Amino acid sequence: MSERVSWVPEGLDTGKPSAARLYDYLLGGGHNFAADRALAEKFLQAQPNARTIARLNRAFLRRAVLFMMDRGIRQFLDLGSGIPTVGNVHEIAQKADPEAHVVYVDFEDVAVAHSQLILEDDPRATIIQEDMTKPEAVLKAAQESGLIDFSQPVGVLTVGVFHFVPPEADPRTIVATYRDAVPEGSYLAFSQFTQDLQPEEMAGVVEVMKKSQNPMFPRTRSEIEGFFDGFEVVEPGVVPLPLWRPEGQNTDDPDKAGIYAAVGRKV
Amino acid sequence: MELPELAARWMHALTPTAYIPLSHAEIQQALLDALVELPESPESVADRLVSLHATGPDSLRATIEVLSPTFELPLLARLSSAYAHYMRMDAFDQQEQIKVAIVRAKQRVERTLKVSEARFKEVFASSALGIAITDFDGRCVEANDTLAEIVGLESGADLVGRQLIDYFHPEDKAALAASYRQVRDGHVERFRDQRKLIREDDEPVWVHLAASLLADADDEPTHHVTMVEDISELHLLQRSLDHQLLHDSLTGLSNRQHFITQVERRIGSDPITLYHLGLDAFSVVNNGLGHETGDKLLKIVASRLRKLAEEKKAVVARIGGDEFALMTISDHVTSTIEEIQATLAEATFVDDHGIALSASIGVVDRPAAFVTAAELMRCANAALRQAKARGKRQWALHDPHDDARRRGRYALAASMPGAWEHGELEIVYAPVHDLETREVLGAVARLHWDDLSHNDTMALADSTGLSLPIGKWLLREACAQAARWVAEFGDRAPTLHIALGALQSRDEDLVADVKRALDETGLPPEQLRIALDISSVLAGDDNAVVLHDSGIVTALDGFRGGHDELAVLTEVPVRTVITRAPAPTPDSPLRQAMRDLIATVHSFGVRFGVDEVHTLSDAEHWRSAGADGVIGLLPALSADEVTELLTTAPSPPPAAS
Repeated sequence: MSERVSWVPEGLDTGKPSAARLYDYLLGGGHNFAADRALAEKFLQAQPNARTIARLNRAFLRRAVLFMMDRGIRQFLDLGSGIPTVGNVHEIAQKADPEAHVVYVDFEDVAVAHSQLILEDDPRATIIQEDMTKPEAVLKAAQESGLIDFSQPVGVLTVGVFHFVPPEADPRTIVATYRDAVPEGSYLAFSQFTQDLQPEEMAGVVEVMKKSQNPMFPRTRSEIEGFFDGFEVVEPGVVPLPLWRPEGQNTDDPDKAGIYAAVGRKV
Repeated sequence: MELPELAARWMHALTPTAYIPLSHAEIQQALLDALVELPESPESVADRLVSLHATGPDSLRATIEVLSPTFELPLLARLSSAYAHYMRMDAFDQQEQIKVAIVRAKQRVERTLKVSEARFKEVFASSALGIAITDFDGRCVEANDTLAEIVGLESGADLVGRQLIDYFHPEDKAALAASYRQVRDGHVERFRDQRKLIREDDEPVWVHLAASLLADADDEPTHHVTMVEDISELHLLQRSLDHQLLHDSLTGLSNRQHFITQVERRIGSDPITLYHLGLDAFSVVNNGLGHETGDKLLKIVASRLRKLAEEKKAVVARIGGDEFALMTISDHVTSTIEEIQATLAEATFVDDHGIALSASIGVVDRPAAFVTAAELMRCANAALRQAKARGKRQWALHDPHDDARRRGRYALAASMPGAWEHGELEIVYAPVHDLETREVLGAVARLHWDDLSHNDTMALADSTGLSLPIGKWLLREACAQAARWVAEFGDRAPTLHIALGALQSRDEDLVADVKRALDETGLPPEQLRIALDISSVLAGDDNAVVLHDSGIVTALDGFRGGHDELAVLTEVPVRTVITRAPAPTPDSPLRQAMRDLIATVHSFGVRFGVDEVHTLSDAEHWRSAGADGVIGLLPALSADEVTELLTTAPSPPPAAS
């Protein structure tokens, strides 16, 4: 048995690291366990820029949500939302418009319980426990939540998620199923790790994650562009995180950003 | 330095160290407020920084670096120590939060567990099978009431603490214990057995046993679970009817009915693949070695297929005499075919006879969800027929397009008997031309139905079993017509040629039929030429010889020039061979070979005829290669048209010109 933190009740295995808690740790959060931190240290060895990448990815989520709000989107479906760390989608969106609706989707027990705690008092946001790679089930539950009106444009967010979806799960079909469920004028925000930037570090990260519960599958720019079938990718296209509509002057090195990001509008 | 400028520098230093979910302007404003507040209360600035989430590993260092030239060390020390305090508090808050989350998640898992445990209890209690969970010493930890009933006790609780194995026949104990050990040591996943159990009242009960391992949460095996099915006679009597309805009595496999039900259950939800197996040459075994041997062989095949099906988690059934079916899920067709052939090909000895087994296999892979099970079975069967047509040990994938064609053909075949009965089949007469003289040598009587050619009609008739009665009818009708022409036109009447199908050529009654037709119609035997299918002669049938002895000139149809065919020509007295081949044009590399072949045929005193020659130039090529006669230069005519032609023409119709 691996070491257990004393305040963690028995029965849940905190000995197995989770990607969501790893991300939380990289963002400076405290919602994580020793095993998560140990994995994070290995991750940092392979990719020393990991903290910055986590920060840039979270910042992209914020900019993408605000961009969509700006285009009139008032309801969001956040796929694979993970542990709610700082700057959650409902916080960003509802700061701009308190009427904005957000449905989070995650499958991991702790992430779901945690999200429920945070969202307890917010009637306009909820979490559904489903596997985001099973779009039919997710869409059905989202429909049943009553928070998303599928006749109106929806902001679909898959930020830092699809690198956990293996090729055999047919990610293109998954994206296409979400696309087909939302009306024209809906948006998709997408970011995931790529081997196009810093291929050696990426290979190291893949190796580190191989043995975890969440192995990673980096994708090339053209593969990522392929996910936007049926979408019109908005400027500046599929780019390293800090280059996607930066706020003011960008000071981060795009070549070390690890992740490509893009937003598309369903046409 | 002015405070706003300092705030801007601070913001630029701070933002790379942590993710602060605000716009740059907002962050800068918050930091400016902090700068104003700092001299008075560095503690609340620290609080503000932590609330902003400026809590990266380098956030404090960046802050001090920016602020140190402007602010005094003691102030910054207070800021640092307060920052550490609020970080601690923040961490406690977060850990408290995740702890609550974990407790909730655990409660939910437990609730789910309780529900599934309740379900398990229900299954355990209401199962028609006796179930016992035993520890590795063989003691019952739990047992259900059904098992208690089988062994003659009141309730499952009475079994707890007792040795399960004690209920078995003393002679069986050692073997059973060994089987349990095998399961426990992981050598086998489970064992199934049929044993005699001794009830409390010492009455024996026959039972089926199935035992496997139970593992705990850490996947460590801790117990055996044993399922016990009462198969004693009384019990069996009650159930045998059900069983017989669903199983094949010889092999114990599911029957066709049961198989279809299982296909129905899976179709539409799973990617299924259907294999329809027909054992090759099974009739040879049955006829040659006897039905008993055949039955034993079928049992062997069944047990091998059952084993394969278990490995592949497939469903297997015997769906006909020598036909089996297999349904797999998410399968790889070619490897399964290989596995099937491999398991069949294992050396097989039945009653000291070594038998080589193989199967022809029809496959339907991942059918559309809306197809019915019956339709699927039909498709698999069609694919099997196709595979069989290719020879032994072949397989064929169901092709929907091809199937539509075949179905069209079958539909036609199915309507043939009706058509025949209603007189829709017609006999037409195609002229036979002599290549040398260009004269008509005679007329070939042929079937005509719908738009189908003679050969297609005969092939259809063969597939319906109608070819014999139709052939006999053709023989009689054509002889009657030819006799009328002889009566009316004397020497100018065409000689009648009749080409028989494969079945009729080796029909035992053929010679009698021919004689009867001649007798009844009065057609002189020398006016008749019978062409037999060459396969009958090759198979050793003596119809050709007997016909010849009866004074009837015969030909062999379907000649291809093989050695065996040439050899037959030296033994069987025939007048002509008839072939169907592309014309030996001057540029054909086979032209010389064809010349040589025709010369060889001639050297046996046999004439060489060619069917299906439709153009004059082809006829000319054949003539120059040495052939004697051709069929097909002029279209076939109805009997009336021939009569009219004979009436108006002063001499037989000339060659097409």
